[in-house]
Amino acid sequence: MPPPLLFGMIAVNNVSKFYGSVVAVSEVSFAIDQGVTALLGPNGAGKSTLFRMLCGLTPASRGTLRVLGEDPRRDRDVRGSIGLVPQQDALFDHLTADEFVSVAARTQGIDTADIAHVAHWALEQVDLHDVGSKPVGQFSKGMRQRVKVAAALVNDPRVLVLDEPLTGLDPVQRRRMIALFHRLGDEGRCVLVSSHVLDEVARLGSNVLVVAQGRLVASGDYRDLRELMDDRPHRIRLGSSDPRRLATELVGRGLVSALTLHDGDVVVETLDVDALGRQLAPIAVGLGVRLDEVHPLDDDLESVFRYLVEGR
Amino acid sequence: MTTHSDTSHTASPPLSAYPSGVGRSSVGASDALAVSYRLVLGQMRSTGRIVALLLLSLTATVAGFAVGTSDSATVDQAAAVIANLGFAVVLPIVCLVFAGGAIGDLRDDKTLVYLWLRPMNRWPIVVGAALASLTMATPIVLPAIVAAAALTGFGSGLTGATLIATIVGLVAYTSIFTMLGVWLKRHIVWGLAYILIWEGFIALGGPGVAQFAIRTYTRSILVDRTGADLTGADFSTLTAVIVPLVVSAAALGLASWRLSHQDVD
Repeated sequence: MPPPLLFGMIAVNNVSKFYGSVVAVSEVSFAIDQGVTALLGPNGAGKSTLFRMLCGLTPASRGTLRVLGEDPRRDRDVRGSIGLVPQQDALFDHLTADEFVSVAARTQGIDTADIAHVAHWALEQVDLHDVGSKPVGQFSKGMRQRVKVAAALVNDPRVLVLDEPLTGLDPVQRRRMIALFHRLGDEGRCVLVSSHVLDEVARLGSNVLVVAQGRLVASGDYRDLRELMDDRPHRIRLGSSDPRRLATELVGRGLVSALTLHDGDVVVETLDVDALGRQLAPIAVGLGVRLDEVHPLDDDLESVFRYLVEGR
Repeated sequence: MTTHSDTSHTASPPLSAYPSGVGRSSVGASDALAVSYRLVLGQMRSTGRIVALLLLSLTATVAGFAVGTSDSATVDQAAAVIANLGFAVVLPIVCLVFAGGAIGDLRDDKTLVYLWLRPMNRWPIVVGAALASLTMATPIVLPAIVAAAALTGFGSGLTGATLIATIVGLVAYTSIFTMLGVWLKRHIVWGLAYILIWEGFIALGGPGVAQFAIRTYTRSILVDRTGADLTGADFSTLTAVIVPLVVSAAALGLASWRLSHQDVD
């Protein structure tokens, strides 16, 4: 029996996308409503392809996508309810920020009399109102990202699809942008934000979709996902004045499940990284061993995805 | 080039709700056309490109001047220079560079998404882009080729015929190459193949095939209005104006259809 259809402001049911023999997205299903949802995945995982399908920019090879109940590929009007921040850096560089956002407003059907007001509001939200008269071609990467967000907001869309919108932003602007996304979500909009940075996702909200190799590998509350990731074995490189003695003691105390010695360092594998972290220094002091380095080897996102996808 | 840094956030304004009372309506064709025209025109302005194409166009003017300085030149030779250099090389190549990139460049640099995603008809986007390329190509091509005809010294008959034929060619080629830019990724390569292979050889292969080349119609206007002897140019001026205009409309229609259905990055 086929799985029941999912419904929501964005509903993706069993969607696949093929480019010839290459599978970009494979049998993905999810439904989301108002609020912020983070789409997490490494580069090349299929996030942008999924976003392009959600905006109707390319059709799904299989399955159905609905935005506000309509097919965005076929229904031009529903595309007017979507605010997209595309991943690519391309802008109309000859336009000023004011002009770029005003063009977006005009092509979304905003009345001529209101365009300047709305454009100013949108630039204010991304803190670019002071540089509205500057050509976007002269903007830094972060400012270009923000002007894209402003253009996406200008028609008050019910659905926002934001592809890596925090790339290139400084920490202050990143915080402001995340606050903006949360406010938009709290006001009833469906905000879908992609990222390949784990820490960003932690701040974006509790709803997380994780894609890897074109498949949806996890979804739900971010804290559950974090726990799942914390349960996996961690590899840590320990640099010390006497690696053999230190390693023997750690194994004897049951703090590590496996170890390898390499170039004077010891690489340990542990299931309880917190206990190891608490006891490592006292043990080294007790043994009279000098600790030179404690370096986690698999806290990068790639290893997290590898664990989620392949279980290793 | 000056690049503004991302550090001007000492007095950031508070986040605020979307303004109330903002009016909306569907995007009219004239609005969509105007936006497309302006964006494409802005994107295709490039001094280097314009200078290079001006120099190419001036070769026709120089050739016309050379014919005019010869005591033994005939109207057939003058018409041949206009047709073989002006209509066969300068006119289509200038149109290809501008019109091929009108939408093709937007797709290649990935800015097309900002027009495509909007809730508006596709045909005004295409027509606006074609008009923008016509705006760029006309001041480069038209004075150069008409001046070439005038400089040959064969009077207002040849000059007037050249003016009409050049305008017809401009409209037809910009439409066809705008369509080519929408359909094909390597529009310059395919456009050159069309100009050199199709119009250059195949279309001159016989009366049946020749009617499928724009060049046949521009040459026909010269022949019909001056009596010059050019091969493969047997249509009346009326036919030679109407057929390219119909082809132009069809090309823009096909481009609009394709734009509606294509994948956009």
